[in-house]
Amino acid sequence: MENIIKGRARLLGDNINTDTNCSSKYLPGKDNAYVAQHAFEKVAPAFIGNFKSGDIIVAGKNFGNNSSREQAVHVMHLMGVAALVSHSFGRQFFRNTINNGLPAFECAIDGIVDGDEIEIDVAAGKVMVTARGIQRSVPVLPPAVRAILAEGGLIKFLQKYPDWKAA
Amino acid sequence: MGYTIAEKILAAHSGGAPVRAGEVVVADVDFAMMHDARAGNAMKMAAKLGVKGLPFAKRTALVMDHYSPPPHIEAANTHKDMRAFAEATGAQLYDVGDGICHQVMPEGGHLTAGDLIVGTDTHSVTYGAFNALGTGVEGTDVAAVMMTGKLWFRVPETIRIELKGRLQPGVWAKDVTLHMLGRLGAEGANYRALEYVGSGVSAMDIDDRMTLSNHAAELGAKAALLEADEKTIAWLQAHKARPPKPVKADADAIYVERIEIDTANLVPQVARQHHIDDVVGVPEVRGKKIHFALIGTCTNGRLDDIRQAAAILKGQRIAKGVRMIITPASREIYLAAAREGLIEALTRAGASFEAAGCGTCVNVTGHLITGDGDVAISSANRNFKGRLGNDKSEIWVGSAATVAASALTGLITDPREVDGGQWRAA
Repeated sequence: MENIIKGRARLLGDNINTDTNCSSKYLPGKDNAYVAQHAFEKVAPAFIGNFKSGDIIVAGKNFGNNSSREQAVHVMHLMGVAALVSHSFGRQFFRNTINNGLPAFECAIDGIVDGDEIEIDVAAGKVMVTARGIQRSVPVLPPAVRAILAEGGLIKFLQKYPDWKAA
Repeated sequence: MGYTIAEKILAAHSGGAPVRAGEVVVADVDFAMMHDARAGNAMKMAAKLGVKGLPFAKRTALVMDHYSPPPHIEAANTHKDMRAFAEATGAQLYDVGDGICHQVMPEGGHLTAGDLIVGTDTHSVTYGAFNALGTGVEGTDVAAVMMTGKLWFRVPETIRIELKGRLQPGVWAKDVTLHMLGRLGAEGANYRALEYVGSGVSAMDIDDRMTLSNHAAELGAKAALLEADEKTIAWLQAHKARPPKPVKADADAIYVERIEIDTANLVPQVARQHHIDDVVGVPEVRGKKIHFALIGTCTNGRLDDIRQAAAILKGQRIAKGVRMIITPASREIYLAAAREGLIEALTRAGASFEAAGCGTCVNVTGHLITGDGDVAISSANRNFKGRLGNDKSEIWVGSAATVAASALTGLITDPREVDGGQWRAA
């Protein structure tokens, strides 16, 4: 995980279920590549067509609510999502972002506009949109969690530290 | 200051030193579970670990419940893979028709009071009914547990909920959880653990306590913990669980919130269509026409739920124009219901029974499809639009007693108003 993450903000709304909108839960037999081409189109039809690798998803409250599938994170990696910023995350979804090495930050998103250049300072716990004068603090993740993220997720972490020593 | 049940269980499993809400610990997991909707992913993640042998797989249960029976080739192939994986690793296997993961886990003696349990399902909070910290995780987590016996956890803050007074006859734990959902909102307890205490909890039997913990998933809760009392210990011993290690909160434990519910005066509750937190008292909506009645799921497919239905429907016939499906939560429950004559009574009343499993919860089997404009009343836990396979139908959620009373009249009905509706286990 880079300490500074920069990218274009791509906005999504409140209470988006990632099982429904970013997994094959209701698309049996479809692979991640197919899901990635159709992600979030039911709740934001123009979203996926404009999404580019390196963009940052900026979502309303409760992103990933009622959603358990880590496949959603695998699909986001395939899309090239650089990071997630949301007012709040569903519990299981948030756990899945850590286990699968996708940095996710809890932060108020008001004032951020679709297409804004956004910068996240991971170590300092800051989310910034310089053009709009936005600078917000985000909770710094505990060291054990950062160690898992730093290796790119729990599988890679355990391949390197099978005794959990770095956690 | 003292500690909550969640803090104590996580401390006891991560070296013994006290831990506080907000800390992250790496803790020893007593047992893990994966069901057929996530087992494919969990087995894939386990393979990615690239280690020889998964020494803790023996403390893992693989359960075929979501696709019971399998409705497509993909599910049938996952089941084949699960059987092969269990054979190769020594994991416990529950095949099609054995039951829902959250029922077979305690019935199989896989958990006891004071345990730390994970499962690939949000309703893994059910194990809190037995004073075990159960929580939902994903395939990567279960793979990690099978390899190392451990997993990372953030210690949750706790909300203490006191149930003041025994529920009236005809009112059940489901009515309490629906009331809580109306009060806190869906995900109103996101990241939090719940501790349910009070005379209302003590008076409940185990089946109802499991509903109380189970339905906390819709509140977003990470765990929903009850204390272990004589009923808990007796149940665990009867199911050959490991020796219980009951954990109580300290009197001066730190809670983020304290809630009291006047359970002695609670009336039956129902969630209206599409939103599980759109909750009203059944008396406010009585008389609404229904077309489909469902009893089952990990929330309300237990023996006491089937007994409630039979108390209302025995010797009667469900209303003309209504169909009814009942899915016992496990094979053991199916057998017990047969021994008590409940299967015959309910089948004569017009209900159809299906194989034990998750079948009445979400339309994965294809058996639940409703017609346009139909109204279903279900004892399940969720009522998202289209969950029964048709966006143009409605799903209302209540207790098994409310579902059975409504099936009898064809209208949403307060179970206290029909014969047998005030039934309570002796």
